[in-house]
Amino acid sequence: MTPVNKTMVYCNRYTNNLKYLCTAILLLLLLSANRPYAPNAVFSIKSGSISFRSDAPLELIRAQSTELRGKIDTDKKLFAFVIKMGSFNGFNSPMQKEHFNENYLESSKYPDASFSGKIIEDIDFLKSGTYTVRAKGILNVHGVGQERIIKCGLVVKNGQLNINAAFTVLLADHNITIPKVVHEKLASEIKVEVKAEMVTQ
Amino acid sequence: MASTSVIRITIFTIILLPGLLSAPVVKAQQDTTNLLALLENEAAASGEGATRYTTATFKTTRLVNGHSVENAGKGVLDVKISHRFGTINKGGYELFGLDNATMRMGFDYGITSSIMAGIGRSTYQKAYDAFLKIKLLRQSTGKKRMPVTVSYVPTIALKTLRFQNPEQQNYYSSRLFFTHQLIIGRKFSNALSLQIMPTLVHVNLVPRSTDPNDLLSIGIGGRQKLTKRLSLNAEYYYQLPGYKLAGTSNVLSLGFDIETGGHVFQLHFTNSQGMNEKTFITETNGKWEKGDILFGFNISRVFTLGKR
Repeated sequence: MTPVNKTMVYCNRYTNNLKYLCTAILLLLLLSANRPYAPNAVFSIKSGSISFRSDAPLELIRAQSTELRGKIDTDKKLFAFVIKMGSFNGFNSPMQKEHFNENYLESSKYPDASFSGKIIEDIDFLKSGTYTVRAKGILNVHGVGQERIIKCGLVVKNGQLNINAAFTVLLADHNITIPKVVHEKLASEIKVEVKAEMVTQ
Repeated sequence: MASTSVIRITIFTIILLPGLLSAPVVKAQQDTTNLLALLENEAAASGEGATRYTTATFKTTRLVNGHSVENAGKGVLDVKISHRFGTINKGGYELFGLDNATMRMGFDYGITSSIMAGIGRSTYQKAYDAFLKIKLLRQSTGKKRMPVTVSYVPTIALKTLRFQNPEQQNYYSSRLFFTHQLIIGRKFSNALSLQIMPTLVHVNLVPRSTDPNDLLSIGIGGRQKLTKRLSLNAEYYYQLPGYKLAGTSNVLSLGFDIETGGHVFQLHFTNSQGMNEKTFITETNGKWEKGDILFGFNISRVFTLGKR
């Protein structure tokens, strides 16, 4: 009988120790897990679209993509947006889309276009309202980065952030050359529009 | 009792620990100093779930004479005007063959993104032809991986030239030729694409009684881009001994694709005068080494008929 009791005692002591250990680990982990949540207010795109138009004398070309992705860190005022060039649809023909990817944007070599940098103005992202801010950063298209300041409209409402922006991209700025034969069909300046709904995770 | 609670706690710990441990790890990744890198990591993680199809394996639906693995887009009408001049060994009197031209006009249409149909009429042998091109497999990367694109191209040709021997009993079926082609192509890089084309041509009326009616050949072709809008193309069909018409040679064609907006110009040299499958694969009689080389060109102009 005694050997059995001994093991029982041993077991009890062991269980108690384990209980304390588990609680300690649990508390520690929960605390440390919670820590990064609070100060980081990172908004991510829930749904976003980007569209462009080339308004040339002989042809109007339009295309859009809904695969815009992006993040804004409201504390550090940092932002980054990325779009896959191959995700653009529209155009006037399938061949035009092919030329866009193969000849102009070289999407297999430069799959993404991005805009990342810092917001100049200080605004309170927790307060509902409509703001206009300037986003200063590097616009990278076709592997060529250009420093740009782009004006954006922001609407903060119920913890959601709506963004819209319109700007132009000069093809020459990004080393995209237009052959002579299509000069009348392709604008040298492309109008771009961005819309996005962002939420914190 | 006690031992069961030990087990229970141990199980509890085993199950929960990894979950708890991983939670801070995930959150720790939210280092926002480089949001762009963060987005890229996210994309890499989710990108594995998508299938990316290879596009623009060739600039147009023809390599030189024969089909490439490429289809006309859905709702796209591709009008092709092709010329072959005479052989350049005719000399200056015939302006190296330019005095002599045969042509084919063709109308290809993309019914869906993977099925296209086309008709054509050649002055050579006053022949009509019609074909279907059906994509069976598409080269892709990502979730679904496929190393090659495979198309099946059945072609029918109708030779309407008056029968050479009107005295004999001639049947309408003697004017018909059937071709079945499998095209297996791969875009190896942005610049290099290759394809092989096993081909069966069925001829109802052959020139000699000793000639077989089913002719077999294997084609090989490819393109190498020289610049963004210029590529060098080559195409060769090897006829299997015993499955070819007597006295014919294999067709070899070399050419350039020049792309200008909605047009593709193809300029080439070939030893075949005909431009439909059965003619250039099984009836070529020119020989490169003898200078039976013909200059030719194809002009392709696409019109988008369907919406987008």
